[in-house]
Amino acid sequence: MNVLKAASGRRSMASPGCVLRLALLLATGHWPPATLLAQQPAPQARPPGAPAPTQVGRTGKATAPVDLTGYWVSVISEDWRWRMVTPLKGDFAGVPVNGDARRVGERWNPAQDEAAGAQCKSYGAPAIMRVPGRVHITWQDDNTLKIETDSGMQTRLLDFQGAAKEVDTIASWQGFSSANWERPPNGVEVPDNFPIFSTRTGTQGRSLEVVTTHLRPGYLRKNGVPYSAQTVLDEYFDYHKESNGDEWFTVTTIVKDPVYLTGPYITSTDFKKERDGSKWDPTPCTAR
Amino acid sequence: MGPHTVHRPLEQRWSRRQPATEASASALVAMFLCAAFATPASAQIDFTGEWAPAYHEDAPERLPGPELGDYMGIPLSAAARLRADSYDADRISVVNEYQCRPHSSDYGMRGLGNLRVWREINPKNQEVIALHTYMPAWGSERTIWMDNRPHPPEYAEYTFQGFSTGVWEGNMLTITTTHLKANYYRRNGVASSDKRTVTEHWARHGDFLTVIVVESDPVMLTEPWVRSENWYLDPGQKLTAFQCEYQPEVPAPVGTVPHHLPGTNPFLTEVADWYGLPREATRGGAETMYPEFRKKMTKPVMPPPDHCERFCVCTTLIDCQLHGR
Repeated sequence: MNVLKAASGRRSMASPGCVLRLALLLATGHWPPATLLAQQPAPQARPPGAPAPTQVGRTGKATAPVDLTGYWVSVISEDWRWRMVTPLKGDFAGVPVNGDARRVGERWNPAQDEAAGAQCKSYGAPAIMRVPGRVHITWQDDNTLKIETDSGMQTRLLDFQGAAKEVDTIASWQGFSSANWERPPNGVEVPDNFPIFSTRTGTQGRSLEVVTTHLRPGYLRKNGVPYSAQTVLDEYFDYHKESNGDEWFTVTTIVKDPVYLTGPYITSTDFKKERDGSKWDPTPCTAR
Repeated sequence: MGPHTVHRPLEQRWSRRQPATEASASALVAMFLCAAFATPASAQIDFTGEWAPAYHEDAPERLPGPELGDYMGIPLSAAARLRADSYDADRISVVNEYQCRPHSSDYGMRGLGNLRVWREINPKNQEVIALHTYMPAWGSERTIWMDNRPHPPEYAEYTFQGFSTGVWEGNMLTITTTHLKANYYRRNGVASSDKRTVTEHWARHGDFLTVIVVESDPVMLTEPWVRSENWYLDPGQKLTAFQCEYQPEVPAPVGTVPHHLPGTNPFLTEVADWYGLPREATRGGAETMYPEFRKKMTKPVMPPPDHCERFCVCTTLIDCQLHGR
């Protein structure tokens, strides 16, 4: 026992009960369990950026480690002058754009977008969480989390079975979103090889991981900073509760666009939970 | 081999060990397994390494520095606004005491924040005692205690890095910092008080790090101020040492503190006029941080320029300087 104490510390010390239980299991042939001895299948290849699918037979709703449902307001404590008002033409500050993006941005013409019925170009999935407004999150069904926005009146559907689907959908402002409750890096299983004296770092994840593809080209900002149809959007939703009781989620948004960006465009946006939908204010998209 | 030896195939001999041997082996294996699978006190995501900041939010404010009078997005109290209005940018050139004043740990995370994180391990039990961070700006090194120690009493020393403790909430590290010296929220005179408590939530997603920062300051803020910033893993990053020397830059009589008396600062409307913004929005305040403020705010006093003129391309310090004007 002293050896164990010295080796692994007070909190990880093996208790007599633990030793007895395991000895009994070994003697009766019940230990190690088959799941531990069985060769762990190698993770199946997934499309680039696609999250691991939710455990078979368990729904996204049933495995939710946190509750993201409800009404939430985006609090504009960052990027105020690029979000609360339409930025000036040619303002690309903070966005890692390339020369092509700047050329496109300099040609921004909101009247043309209005005439084309494309007022929602700055309300697509890569931009919508950054738009000031409120979101209403509900479970549409056991494997679909729905995010509605009052600004631009958009609807996002996050599909917890999306990773297993053959996606054959028309590109849209909100695209196709595959969701998963993020697991710790390399999973929660014990390390490979010889697991004695080493445990897996990482605890059960609480983050919602979303990958969105099939996007209709649009704007990262209202002043025409473009993203292309090749954009892949990675998002992580992290829930946190503060000492004053306020509930928040922060969504980290990583936009990858090989056409218009020189590297990933990373922002994180903070939403505070509201008691009800009394401040819900549906407003159509505007191009200006 | 004796007469009573039972001849069995080799594989059967390997598969049917003697009971005594099996029992002792079982106990030994059980002890190993208990040691191996017991949960450590602080299971954790690994935040150690070299992190480079993504200046994709508020880049002009964080890199070259904020415009005078830009209080946008801050739930400022009236007292904090009055104090910020008195600020004169010559202050850091004239007042030696301000020249090498370090960033506090909360401002440092928002400011020029290349970051190194490493762990301090207790060699006797392999538990994490603390995380340490280093940021080159002012050579700021910070300790985040992970060993459940309490915060010191209020009369204990206040420092620029403060006293930080961390706890795990799932895959998120939550850090509480107290005992911070008064400093600034923005480098244009928006001050922070030594009464503030800073809560951080660190979340790692692949090679990205998001840190959510909650400032609670009963003096300077009217409600908790929540922001979040992002880093990406950059193992090749080599951080430099920082040096700062006091050097009078602007001749002025001893004891001079450049300032503006209330109502006399002529620079406070520049930011609104340069960017075509409603002037009341640039004054900050909690009300301005919520979407419905857009319906209340007035039109800009000065018509917005037709095209961006300042810091139009700005994601790195070099970018920002090249495209500053």
